[in-house]
Amino acid sequence: MSTVYSQRRALSVGLILSLCIVLVFIGSLSAGAVAISWQVIINTLFDLEGEQQTYIILNSRLPRSLLALLVGGCLAISGTIIQGLLRNPLASPKIIGINAGAALAVCLMTLLLPDLPMTYLPLAAVLGGTLAALIVYLGSHWRESSMTRLVLIGIAVGFVCEAGIDYILISSPPYQFSTPLVWLTGSLWSRGWSHLAMSWHLLIGLLISALILSYRLDLIRLGAVHAKGLGVNVGFERFLLLAIATLLASISVSVVGVLGFVGLMAPHIARSLVGGSHRTLIPIAILVGMLLVVLADACGRAIAPPIEISAGILTALFGGPFFIYILLKMGSTES
Amino acid sequence: MPKSSLYLLLSGLFVLAVLASLSSGGRSDVGLNELFGVFNGSNSALANTVMIDIRLPRTVCAALIGICLGLSGLILQAVTRNPLASPSILGINQGAALGLVATLVFPQAAAIGVGFLSVTGAIVAGGLTFIIAGGLQGKLNSLRLILGGITVGAFAYAFARFALTLDDDVASAVLQWSAGNVGDVRWPDAQLLIGWSVLGMVITLLLSHRFNLLALGDSSAQGLGADPRVTLLIGTLLAAVLAGVCVSIAGPIAFVGIVIPHVCRYLFGLDYRVLVGAVSLTGATLMVIGDALSKWMGGPSEMPIGVVVALIGAPYFLYQTFMEKDLG
Amino acid sequence: MLFKKVGHCLVVGVISMLSLPVFSAVIEHELGSTQVPDSPQRIVVLEFSFVDALAAVNVAPVGLADDNKPERIVAAYRKIIGSDWISVGTRKTPSLELTASLKPDLIIADKKRHSAAYATLSEIAPTIVLDSLVGDYPAAVKQMSVIGNALGKEEEMEQRITEHKAKIAAYAETFKALSDGMYVQFATARASRLTLHSASSYNGSLLNAFGFSSKLNPTDGDARANFYVPTTLEQLSELNPEVLILGNYADVTIIDQWKNEALYQNLSAVKAGKVFHVDAHSWSRLRGMVAAESTAEDLSAIMKKISAKK
Repeated sequence: MSTVYSQRRALSVGLILSLCIVLVFIGSLSAGAVAISWQVIINTLFDLEGEQQTYIILNSRLPRSLLALLVGGCLAISGTIIQGLLRNPLASPKIIGINAGAALAVCLMTLLLPDLPMTYLPLAAVLGGTLAALIVYLGSHWRESSMTRLVLIGIAVGFVCEAGIDYILISSPPYQFSTPLVWLTGSLWSRGWSHLAMSWHLLIGLLISALILSYRLDLIRLGAVHAKGLGVNVGFERFLLLAIATLLASISVSVVGVLGFVGLMAPHIARSLVGGSHRTLIPIAILVGMLLVVLADACGRAIAPPIEISAGILTALFGGPFFIYILLKMGSTES
Repeated sequence: MPKSSLYLLLSGLFVLAVLASLSSGGRSDVGLNELFGVFNGSNSALANTVMIDIRLPRTVCAALIGICLGLSGLILQAVTRNPLASPSILGINQGAALGLVATLVFPQAAAIGVGFLSVTGAIVAGGLTFIIAGGLQGKLNSLRLILGGITVGAFAYAFARFALTLDDDVASAVLQWSAGNVGDVRWPDAQLLIGWSVLGMVITLLLSHRFNLLALGDSSAQGLGADPRVTLLIGTLLAAVLAGVCVSIAGPIAFVGIVIPHVCRYLFGLDYRVLVGAVSLTGATLMVIGDALSKWMGGPSEMPIGVVVALIGAPYFLYQTFMEKDLG
Repeated sequence: MLFKKVGHCLVVGVISMLSLPVFSAVIEHELGSTQVPDSPQRIVVLEFSFVDALAAVNVAPVGLADDNKPERIVAAYRKIIGSDWISVGTRKTPSLELTASLKPDLIIADKKRHSAAYATLSEIAPTIVLDSLVGDYPAAVKQMSVIGNALGKEEEMEQRITEHKAKIAAYAETFKALSDGMYVQFATARASRLTLHSASSYNGSLLNAFGFSSKLNPTDGDARANFYVPTTLEQLSELNPEVLILGNYADVTIIDQWKNEALYQNLSAVKAGKVFHVDAHSWSRLRGMVAAESTAEDLSAIMKKISAKK
């Protein structure tokens, strides 16, 4: 983790990643239940003469892939900030309870206000995710605060939320929760320009402010005493960054559902590529997150058409073993 | 409070819970009167059938599962010296559950035996968690133990939850299954559990001296002639088997293994020789209360006992993490 | 280049104005009102009850959500709509791309499953959203009229509904001699669970329409669990139906486990040999007039067996 890599290395890694993203993005435009030839895709994109597939390319695959990029980047930066601030490589939006809180809120909304249109689902998710994260933060600061405490309280809050979710799901007829169940598995099914239009200002705005603030992460991490000397108001900036990270993850989850492990994996992969300095780590992590989610969404569409496999299931299937790998690696470096 | 009166109080609570559990159920015409009718012979054949063939094995199973899961948690907490260790936190329950679901997805696998697959799943998941936590180096890192267990558990569940995107029917079957339910257990299940819980209690009692030594620290245990690694191995295997048997009968039931030992340490102190009995009594009481509640909750149908216990246990676990002082 | 393009657009525009059906009917549905073409030709339906409605007036959809299991579109439907439709995947997450590629001029979607995708579906074609999954048998029939309007076959559908009601009434009449007020319980059986369909469910209310009664009438109390009630053997023995109709969703079910128990053998239906097996899929997943009529045929066979026993 402490390996120092040069800026040049970061630049070349960034370029290679960007190239990968472009390639996967283009691949994503051709992945799906309807086979479309490259000629037709190019015709449609550049409005050339000849056969076009306007709806599928321009209204379905293009906005979905763009949304995947955006959400992937947001989850990745959120995860990087949370890991950096908490100085815990195992922390992630999921660990601090955002996913479970959002999921419980969505189920509660469906249960208590069944007539409310499903378009309100994101609002409930943001509220639930933020509230759960708040409980975890407050809980970990309530007594002497340590990173272990925070992680454990996050897990416990997750358990409480899951107990509630199980209760609600089991005591209700299955059809009632058709939409929430799809949401719980993290799917970009039926996401289009309207979802992008609804969330992009907010997400891009938060993303930029996170980028601007995040170079201070290295200073904050030096410790309160040093950072104060360098003119950083540690308490306030910590709070601001955590708030932004929480909002970024909650809003992302609210738009596409529970997309686990991206916020955890992206920073780790980025760290192994360019090292731990946040100035370079953050942009690389964002690129990695984008790549992961676009890839997961495209694969989910391409594996078994016309059935779509949720992107969240694919990220979880990769993320679980990845997390175990990190734990094992930590074990070997410590001892 | 002196311990004897504590035992008395708990036993009283246990008896009340058993009465509540036995006197309620699907048939409203079979209640407390019919329970006593079993003994004085005033019952109709139907009431006797309901009492003896349906309700009694169910209540017995609930109590025995409470004993097995409580002991499993106690053992795990002793060998890891971690107050948060328990079958569900270390992924053992979920591993067993994955073994169980394998028989749902691949009916051919059922020939191997549901019990065997569950216990195997439990042992594999537990072993994986211990390896992640550094068990091979002989030194467990408590945070990695918990995080590793949670991840192993979440990963095992991810496979099952995959079904949620499929058919409504499959989705609700998986949900129902993953909740933990004693609604359809009968005497053969109870017999199996009686055997395992007695065996579990005896072995735990035999190990309890080792657990006490372990609590003093590795070096003192070694000095007094108890190799901590042997204790760890036997203890974990026993805990996994006990949890696996419970899952194969009732599905995964979380939080009993974590809450019960914690409450008992608070009430009865730290001596494991005392705790074996105390955990068994308290665990059985909690599960029988859960069983009675599960019959009253849920409108026209029942609420699975796993959900009832989770609604009690999860908030308690949160409270426990809030109050715990040294978490590593 | 630009001129060419504009010219192209103009030509395409004029052609499409000529060829596109005139939008006329406005259909009120769960999520508002939608203008649909006069008589839509290329229809995509995303729930089974909508297939039923189309079949009732001899309309074949171009695409439908069959959960990628073609056998779920049963023979009763295939007789009418053929097999030339394209599967657009699961009912839960139908493929929007495939739907779009079929160039539909009407989409019928379900409220509980597809509300969140309403905007996206509307981009593809005029979409109406109906509550197919909730509600009883009379509500399901009522929905048929809405679909009839949307198809531009209002009169045909009304005629079919009248016909259907007469058919059901005729069946009820023939059952009457044997069945008046008899408690018939329909349940679906899985490996570890028996689910009773209450009087307020689709199947329960359909049985009522045939003149049977039910003891499972959950009132307001717990609205969520009203339709489908998971049950234990003890609860079943308290309800003690006179006739038990089982739809199996698995090869080995909980009933096989209960078979040897005294309490099960003590059920009136079991003692009198009045436990019958039907196809769970066509009884409980499909709903509508065609489905109800095939249910009626099954019931008729069951009633014949019962009268033979007397």
